[in-house]
Amino acid sequence: MSEWPGWLYVASVLIPLGAFVVEALFGRWLKRFNAYLATAAIGTSCVLSLVGLVLFLPHFGTTHAGAEAASHHAAEHQAASEHGAGHAEPYAWRGSVPWVVIGPMGVGPEMPGRADRGLPPLVIPLGIHIDGLAVIMFAMVSLVATLIHVYSMEYMRDDPRYPRFFTYLSLFCFSMLGLVASANVFMVFMFWELVGVCSYLLIGFWYEEKKNTDAANKAFIVNRVGDVGMLVGLGILWSVFGTFTIADLNRALADSSLRDEQHRLTRVVAGDELTLQLSETSLDGDEPTPRPVQIPYGLLVIAGLGIFAGCVGKSAQFPLHVWLPDAMAGPTPVSALIHAATMVAAGVYLVGRFYPLFTHEVLLYIAYTGGITLLIGATIALVQTDYKKVLAYSTVSQLGFMMLGLGVGGWAAGLFHLITHAFFKALLFLSAGSVYHSVHTYEMPVLGGLRSKMPRTALCMLIGTLAISGVPLLSGFYSKDAILASSLAFVREYPGQFLLFVVPAVGAVLTAFYMFRMWFLIFDGDPRGEAGQGHAEVHTAHSGVASGVDAEPGTADSGAAAHGADHSGHHNPVEHAHESPPTMTIPLLILAALSIVVGYPLSLLPLPGLGAEWTTPVLERAIESAEPLPALDVSETKWLALAASIVIAAVGIGAAAGFYSRWRIFDPASARRGLAPLYEFFTRKWYFDELYELVLVRPTLALGRSIRDFDLRVIDGVVNGMAWVTRRVSDLGGLFDRYVVDGAVHAVALVLGGLGLVVRSLQTGQVRAYLALLALAVIGLFVGMYAWVR
Amino acid sequence: MSDDLILSLLWVVPLGGSLLILGLPRDDRLVKSFALGVSVLTLGLAIWVFGLYVGGANPPAVSALRDRAAANRIAEADQVGGAWQVTDVPGDLVVRHPWIPLFNIEYLLGVDGISLSLLLLTGLISVLACLASWTIDKQVKGYFSLFLLLLASMMGVFLALDMFLFFVFFEVMLLPMYFLIAIWGGENREYAAIKFLLYTLFGSALILVGILVLYFWGGDATASVRGQPFAAHSFDMMHVAEAASTTSFYGVPVQTVVFGLLLAGFLVKLPSFPFHTWLPDAHVQAPTPISMILAGVLLKIGGYGLVRLAWPLAPAGAYAWSGFVAALGVFSIVYGALAAMAQTDFKKLVAYSSVSHMGYVTLGMAAMGLFGRDGSIDPRYYAYGVNGALYMMLAHGITSAGMFFLVGVIYDRAHTRDLAKLGGLWNVMPIYGAIGLVIFFGSMGLPGLCGFIAEVFVVLSAFHFNRLLAVVAALAVVLTAGYILWTIQRVWLGRNDHWKGLPDMDRRELVIAAPLVVLTVVMGIFPQAILSWASPSVERMVTDVANAPTVRAVEVADQAVAAEQGPAAEPDGWVELAETASRR
Repeated sequence: MSEWPGWLYVASVLIPLGAFVVEALFGRWLKRFNAYLATAAIGTSCVLSLVGLVLFLPHFGTTHAGAEAASHHAAEHQAASEHGAGHAEPYAWRGSVPWVVIGPMGVGPEMPGRADRGLPPLVIPLGIHIDGLAVIMFAMVSLVATLIHVYSMEYMRDDPRYPRFFTYLSLFCFSMLGLVASANVFMVFMFWELVGVCSYLLIGFWYEEKKNTDAANKAFIVNRVGDVGMLVGLGILWSVFGTFTIADLNRALADSSLRDEQHRLTRVVAGDELTLQLSETSLDGDEPTPRPVQIPYGLLVIAGLGIFAGCVGKSAQFPLHVWLPDAMAGPTPVSALIHAATMVAAGVYLVGRFYPLFTHEVLLYIAYTGGITLLIGATIALVQTDYKKVLAYSTVSQLGFMMLGLGVGGWAAGLFHLITHAFFKALLFLSAGSVYHSVHTYEMPVLGGLRSKMPRTALCMLIGTLAISGVPLLSGFYSKDAILASSLAFVREYPGQFLLFVVPAVGAVLTAFYMFRMWFLIFDGDPRGEAGQGHAEVHTAHSGVASGVDAEPGTADSGAAAHGADHSGHHNPVEHAHESPPTMTIPLLILAALSIVVGYPLSLLPLPGLGAEWTTPVLERAIESAEPLPALDVSETKWLALAASIVIAAVGIGAAAGFYSRWRIFDPASARRGLAPLYEFFTRKWYFDELYELVLVRPTLALGRSIRDFDLRVIDGVVNGMAWVTRRVSDLGGLFDRYVVDGAVHAVALVLGGLGLVVRSLQTGQVRAYLALLALAVIGLFVGMYAWVR
Repeated sequence: MSDDLILSLLWVVPLGGSLLILGLPRDDRLVKSFALGVSVLTLGLAIWVFGLYVGGANPPAVSALRDRAAANRIAEADQVGGAWQVTDVPGDLVVRHPWIPLFNIEYLLGVDGISLSLLLLTGLISVLACLASWTIDKQVKGYFSLFLLLLASMMGVFLALDMFLFFVFFEVMLLPMYFLIAIWGGENREYAAIKFLLYTLFGSALILVGILVLYFWGGDATASVRGQPFAAHSFDMMHVAEAASTTSFYGVPVQTVVFGLLLAGFLVKLPSFPFHTWLPDAHVQAPTPISMILAGVLLKIGGYGLVRLAWPLAPAGAYAWSGFVAALGVFSIVYGALAAMAQTDFKKLVAYSSVSHMGYVTLGMAAMGLFGRDGSIDPRYYAYGVNGALYMMLAHGITSAGMFFLVGVIYDRAHTRDLAKLGGLWNVMPIYGAIGLVIFFGSMGLPGLCGFIAEVFVVLSAFHFNRLLAVVAALAVVLTAGYILWTIQRVWLGRNDHWKGLPDMDRRELVIAAPLVVLTVVMGIFPQAILSWASPSVERMVTDVANAPTVRAVEVADQAVAAEQGPAAEPDGWVELAETASRR
C-alpha cells in the first residue's frame, strides 16, 4: 500500500463482504437483525469512504510524480520524455498483492538451447487503485447504498424473505465497491460478474412469478453477451501485454507521441504497429522498468471494442439495452440502487477508467452507441404508462448521454453526469417506490392528484424531475450542459459528425418532456381512478390498465392479493393514498438535497489543486483532475451550450405542461392518433425483443434440440449399428465355428478315435507289458534331454 | 512409515477392504460402516502423502518427478542368480521394483502435484460417494466390495508411473464400474453398462497400441538420456517422456501417430465429441453415488492421461495436432452446452454439462502457444492453459459430483428427474436451494467460485494460441449461463404446489454437500492454495514440452510453409485475426 488511507478503502470493501458471510450463514437465526447488520456494514463503509474523501481533498489536482519522491519515478520520467512527454499521472493511493502466480518458468533440467529459463512469472494481482475518480465514485456508491438500505428496511418490511433481501444487498455492496476500487481489469471483470449475479438474484427476488425469473435470466444472459466481448479484450491485453493493471496500461497508452493535438489515438499518428513503453508497477515497490511492447493498431481497436462490449452489456447500451427495462421486476429499492445509480453506471465508469485504451475510432463508436441508446430510451419512455418503466427507459437514455459524453472526449462531463444522475435517479426511483408503497400500482392513467396526499414525495420527485430535465440550479443541468458543451466542441472540430450534437439535444428535449409528463400524470390534476381512463392517456393495446401483469407484488404471498385488488376493485387507488413513513422520506430528502447541490460551482471545502474557477462545477473539476489524458477544451462552446440547455429544458417542460398539466392546451389522444405508426413502434420498444427472439433465442434452442437428436440418432446410431454389425459378424463366426472349426475338431476326434482303436491293442492289461513301456519311455526321455542339453 | 509402503497402501488398503468385506457377516450397517471406514482411511493416507509431498526440510515437491523417478534405479546385479539390486531413495515418494523383468515391466509408483491433486480428489469424492451410498439396499456386500475395488483401481491409475501398470489399473477399473451400473442402475442399465464398457475398451485398445509402439520403436541409436544410451524397450513413463522431450529418438512422424492413438483413447474417457455418447447413458442409468464417482473422478482419468501420457510422451505429435485438438475442444464446449440446453432430464443435462466442461480441459491442453512474438520460447501462457485444464478437472470434480448428488437428492424425494415437472423447490427446500445455487453457479464459472478460475485461465491462454478459437470458447460462456440459469429456474424457482411438504436435506446429505460447497467457494477465492504446489509440476511438464527439439522441428517446418505462401499484404487487425486463425 503506497499510503495508509488505501487501507480505509480495503476495509470498506471487505466490511460488506464480512456482513454478507455472516448473514448468509446465520440469516436463519438472525432474521430481521440481518437488516441492521447489513445497514451497519454499508454505513461503516460509507463513513470510511467519506473520511477517505476528506483525506483526498488536498490531492485533487496533484499528480503522482509530484506527490512522491522525485527519485522514485525518475527512471520512468526519463523513459517517458524520450518518447514525448506524457500526461502527468493523477495522484492515487494504490497497493496490490499477488493472487495467482504461475512460474517462474524453466524449472526443468539444464540443457543446451533451453531458452525459457528465468522468465519472470505471469502474475494476476489483487489490488486497489484509488484516484480522484474512484474516491468520488466510492463516496457516491456507499452513500446511495446506505440511504437505500435505510429505505428498504421500511419498504420491504412485510416481505417473507426480508433477511435474504439484505443478504443480497450486502453481497452487492461488496461487489460494487470492489469494482470501483479495482486496480486491474481482471478484478473488474470478476466484480463485474458478481454484481451481475446480485442483480440476477434481486431481479428474480420474487421468483414465484415466472415473469420475474425470466427477467432475471434475461438480464444475466444479455450481460454475459457483453462479457464475451470483455473476455476478448482481456485475452488480447493479456496475451500482448502480460498485465491487466489499468494504471500501467494507461500510462503506456497515454504516451503523447502516439496521439494528435487533441490527444486522440489515431492510426495516422500512431502507425500500423504501435510500440508502447510498458512499465509495470511491481508488487514489492521497485522502480518500474519500461519495456517496449508492440501491438498492431487493429488489434488495439479490437481490444478496445471488446472491453467496451462489456460496458455495453452492463450499462444497457444499444444493442444490449433490452435487459434493463425488464429488470424493473425486482423490488424498487433494487431498481434504484443497482439498476439506476450504481451497477448500470459501472460500464460508463470502466470506459472512463480505461480511457486511453480507446482509439479514435472506438471513441467514435462509443459516442454513436450512446447517441442511439439515448434516442431509443427517450422515445420509448415517451409512451410508457407504467411510471417505473418510464424511469427505466430514462435510465437507459441517460446512460447513453454519459457514453456519448465520453465518446466525444468529454471525459469529465460524462463521469460528472454519472454522479449527478446517480443521485437524482436514485431519488426518482425511491420516490416512485414511495408512491407504489402507497397506491400499489405502477399505472399512471389511474393515478393523478397525489400531490396533496403525498406532499413530501411529490416535492422530492419534482426535484428529481427538475434535475433530470436540466433546469438551472439543479445538478442535472450542469452535467448535461457539460456533455452538450463537449459534443459541441467535438462537432466544431468534425462537422461531419453533427448528429452527435443534434441527437443529445433532441434527447434532452424528450427527457424533459416525458419526465414532466410522468410527474403531471401522477401528482397533478385530479385523481382519475379506473373510471378516469377516458381523458387520461390510455391506448387501446393497454386498455386493461393496471392489469396485474405489470403490478409489482408487494410481498411474495400477497402478490396474488394485490393482483386481485387491482382488477376487481374499480376503486380509486389514490383514495387511500398516504405519505410514507420517515424511514422512507428521510432518505428521499437527503437525496433531494444532494441532487441539487452536487452540481454547484462553489465549494466550502479546501481544494487547493483545483483553482478557483466559478464557471465550472467543483465536482466536475475534481473529476477532471483525475483524467488520464489532458482534458478537452470546451471554453469556446461553453456559453452556446449553456444557452442551448436552457432552451431545451424550457421547450421540453413547456410541451409536457401543454399536454398533461392542469393548464392543458393540447389533447394527447389526438396527437397519438396523428402519429399512430410511430406510437406503435415506440410502444413495441422498436421490436428489439421480437427481433432477438426470432434471430438469436429460437435458433439457439433449435440448434440445441437438433444436436440432442444428432446424438441420439446419428452418433448413437453409428455406435449401435457397429454393435449390430459386430453381433452379426460374431453370429457368422458362430456358424463358422460350428461347421468349420467344430467340423475340424470333430474330424480330429474321429481320427484320434481311429488311432485309439489301434493303440488300444497295446493295452493288454499285463503289468509286465506296462513296465516295459514305462522303461522305454524313461529311456527315450533321458536320451532326448541329453541331446537337448548338449 | 516408509514412503514406499504408504504409496502402495493407497491402493492396497481399498483392495484389501474390497476382499475383506466379502467375509463380513450379513449386516448392512456393518458393511456400510466398514466401507466408509476404508474410504476415510484411504483419504487419510492421501492427505498424509500430501503432507509428505510438501512438508519436511527437503520435500519431494521441490524436485521434478522425473528426477526422483530416475534416482530410484534397478540394476541386474547378478546375471546368473537373477537377483535385482534396487536403489531406493527414501522419502522421495517414488517406489520402483521389478515386476516382469523379461519385458522391463516395473512396479513403479510416484506422485507429483498433478497426480496428488487428483488422488486427493479421488479420496474425497469416494468418501462422499460412500456416504451417498447409504440408501443402497440391494446386495449390499457386493456393491461395497465393487465400490472399494473401483477406488483401489482409480488410486492405482493416478499412482502408476509404469505404462503397463497404468494400463492394468486402467482396465481393472472398468470391471467394477460395469457391474455397478449393470446391477444397481436404472431401468435401461444393461444397455448403458455395456455401452460404457465397449466404448472404453475401444479407447484402451488404442492406448495399448500407442504404448507398444513407444516400447518397440527403434529410433536414432545415438540418443542418450541421462548419459545412458536410450533404446526404448521401457514402460517407464518418465524415462520415455524424457527421451521424447530431450532427444530425437522418437521422430515427428512416430510421435504424430502415437499422440493420435493416445489422444483418441483418452478422449473416449474424458469424454470429448464424438466419443461422448456413452456418458449421458451411463450417468442416467448409474445410481447417484456412482454418477458422482463417474463425473468426479473417472472423467479426470481421461484428462490425467492426456497431461501425463499423451503430451509428455509425444510432445511434437501434440504440437502438430494442437490446432485440431484445440478446435475439437472448443467444439466440445459448444456442442455439450447446446445439447445440455435441449435436455428435459435433469441428470442428462448435468451429464452433457460435463461434456462441455471437459472441452475446456482439451482446449487448455491443446492451446500450445509456446513461442513469443519474436519466436523465442515462452511457455508461460501455455502454463496458464494447462493449469486451467488441471484446475478444471478439480473444479469439475467438485461441482459435477455436487450436481449429480443434488439430482439424486431430489430423485429420492420426487421420484422424477423431468425438468418440466420439477420447480418451486426453493420454497419447499430452502437449504437444498441455497446449496444448489452455489454448486450450479460454481459450475457456471461465476467469479469467486471454482469453475471461474479454470475457465478463464483456459480461455485467456487460448488467446495466445489462436484468437478465433478463443473467441468461440469465450462465446460459450453465454450458452453455459443459459443452460445453468434455465435449469435453476426450472428446478428451484417458480411456484409448484405439487412438491409441498417434501423434506429438506437431512443431516447425512448435508454432511455430503458441505465439503463440496466449501471447496467450491474456497477454490474460487484462493486458487493459489492449490496452484502453489500443483502448478510447479505442470510448469515442468510445460517447459519440457516447449523445449523438446522435435517440437522446434515442427515449428520450423510450419514457418517454412508459412513463408512459402508469402507474406500477408496488409497487417490489418482483422486480417491478422484471420491469419492467426488459419495459421494452424
